[in-house]
Amino acid sequence: MRHEIWLAALTDELRRHGVGPDLAAHVVAEAAGHLRDSGEPPLRAFGPPSAYAAAVADSVGGPALSTRSSVGPVRLRAVDISKRYGRRTVLSGVSLTVHAGQVAAVVGANGSGKSTFLRICAGLVGADGGHVELHGTVGYCPQAGGTADFLLAEEHFALIGAGRGVPRSAAAREGARRAAALDWVPGDAQARHLSGGTRQKLNLVLAGLGDPEVLLLDEPYQGFDRGTYLDFWHEVWRWRDAGRAVVVVTHLLNQLDRVDIVLDLSAGGAGVAA
Amino acid sequence: MAVLACSTVDQDRRAQWLRGVLDLCVLGLLARGDSYGYELAQSLQSAGLGTIQGGTLYPVLLRLQRSGLVTVYWREGGGGPARKYYTISAAGLAVLGEAAGQWAAFAGGVGAIIQERTAR
Amino acid sequence: MNQTMTIAEMTLRETVRRRGVLVLLLVLPLAFYLGRRGDHLGQSIRFVCLGLAWVLSAAALFVGSSARSLEPRLRLSGYRTHQLFLGRLLALWTLGLLLSAPYFLLIRFDQHNVRYGAIAVIMLLGVLVAPLLGLALSALLPRDLEGMLVLMTVVGLQMILDPAGNAARLLPFWFSREIGTYAIDHTSVGYFDRGLLHAAVTALLLLVLVAVAFGVRLRRRPHVKIVGGLS
Repeated sequence: MRHEIWLAALTDELRRHGVGPDLAAHVVAEAAGHLRDSGEPPLRAFGPPSAYAAAVADSVGGPALSTRSSVGPVRLRAVDISKRYGRRTVLSGVSLTVHAGQVAAVVGANGSGKSTFLRICAGLVGADGGHVELHGTVGYCPQAGGTADFLLAEEHFALIGAGRGVPRSAAAREGARRAAALDWVPGDAQARHLSGGTRQKLNLVLAGLGDPEVLLLDEPYQGFDRGTYLDFWHEVWRWRDAGRAVVVVTHLLNQLDRVDIVLDLSAGGAGVAA
Repeated sequence: MAVLACSTVDQDRRAQWLRGVLDLCVLGLLARGDSYGYELAQSLQSAGLGTIQGGTLYPVLLRLQRSGLVTVYWREGGGGPARKYYTISAAGLAVLGEAAGQWAAFAGGVGAIIQERTAR
Repeated sequence: MNQTMTIAEMTLRETVRRRGVLVLLLVLPLAFYLGRRGDHLGQSIRFVCLGLAWVLSAAALFVGSSARSLEPRLRLSGYRTHQLFLGRLLALWTLGLLLSAPYFLLIRFDQHNVRYGAIAVIMLLGVLVAPLLGLALSALLPRDLEGMLVLMTVVGLQMILDPAGNAARLLPFWFSREIGTYAIDHTSVGYFDRGLLHAAVTALLLLVLVAVAFGVRLRRRPHVKIVGGLS
């Protein structure tokens, strides 16, 4: 692999792993100098760009979390939600409050009711008890589905955009921009011809289209490779910095220290957000 | 002759040993004078530690920098772009001094045990 | 209005990309027509009208079923429920008109001694009612397989049952055979009037069914209160 290509890939990967731009520039310059001096091929000297970037990010301790002293108004308030399917109680007495500029993670074992809780918050499924307040528009990304097999990506953007009152050209631009953040260029393929991971990227882009105040994401990273998974979390933090309220259902715990609220549903379906 | 001995030692074990001592070795080299990445790698190799790849060395340097044991500055190269030079700090010297003593005791104990076996 | 038209446009785009559905729409009625052309006068006309209605219902069924997974998201994006089903109906009605036109011309030049005006009316009413039936079935039945079975039963019965009998009037396309009798056999205008009334009532009932089924499925749940957003 030629130096320039490897170094460019390294720049990308450092950004993805949350290394600040100044440090990233230094790391790349130092690596370039080392390659010049040693004359070694980059893959032998440093390994794949993603691995080296991960090692660098590890050594540096990850991106600095901007501490927020003040959060915005309440965007989602779920109080005492309970849900039964037949005789099985899936949720009982679950509450969650998310303000603008906060990220909440809903965790729990399989079957603990995470998806159900999110669908109840979105209003797609009825609750047997409790109520939900939503302040603003809502974007929802299911684990799978939510796209039309025979439409192109751009047509999806136009369709969702029209619902939110966004003109077609603006919706197309916004869709392309959000897709680029997930390292995807929407082409002319129908949704049914996209790979599973790419289809989920479409799903995620559609959830954020029109800039809703509340984002409800149900483990939307199915089929994402490692790089895109990191991109996804960058999008989540960007949404947070932009003052949106984000709720992510996830069972992968290693990103938990970057969220503001954790709602653990594994204890028999009851939980109050910490 | 130490270099010749390297090739017969198991690569995995060598990597494990290096993981434990590489930062101290780097500090040791920097105590003799400022240096930059590639030069350090070459010094480590000629000291008998084998080939140290950039992907291993630079993260170690970053960690040392982050914990304040080394400081950095950029020096313009003669015919090329600037190089990042590392200087050992006072804290680094202190850590190095303490570790040197600990290592001597540790390595001595290990050597004694191993040598007894081969002596049979 | 723009939102309804967007739904209609996207439904049309979707449908023309579904090769299987297109082949069904274009070929099946023709097969019906040619299959009966040798029979006594007018059988091919009756069958092609029925065939057209059937394939349009099937197309509506597929459209409705495949749209289900998208509908919750569309609701959350701000579409009202009536915009969703009206948009789809508009697309299907347009498709029906485009599909029926060449067949009308075919009948116009191939068949003689029949009341062309009445035949045009049959086709128009078929275009009106068929998508309503298909969309209603997709809204009521969870999978398109069950819907297809119901459709096949309906059309099968339509062909078997004697139109003069009472049971036949319960079938959604009875008007097609009734007005067909007027157009082909040159009977009294009473047949035409009865057929027209049947079509109007059927269309209205199916529209109400569609509206209620969609409304129930996509209703805003009572436990959710939206403050300051779209309702």
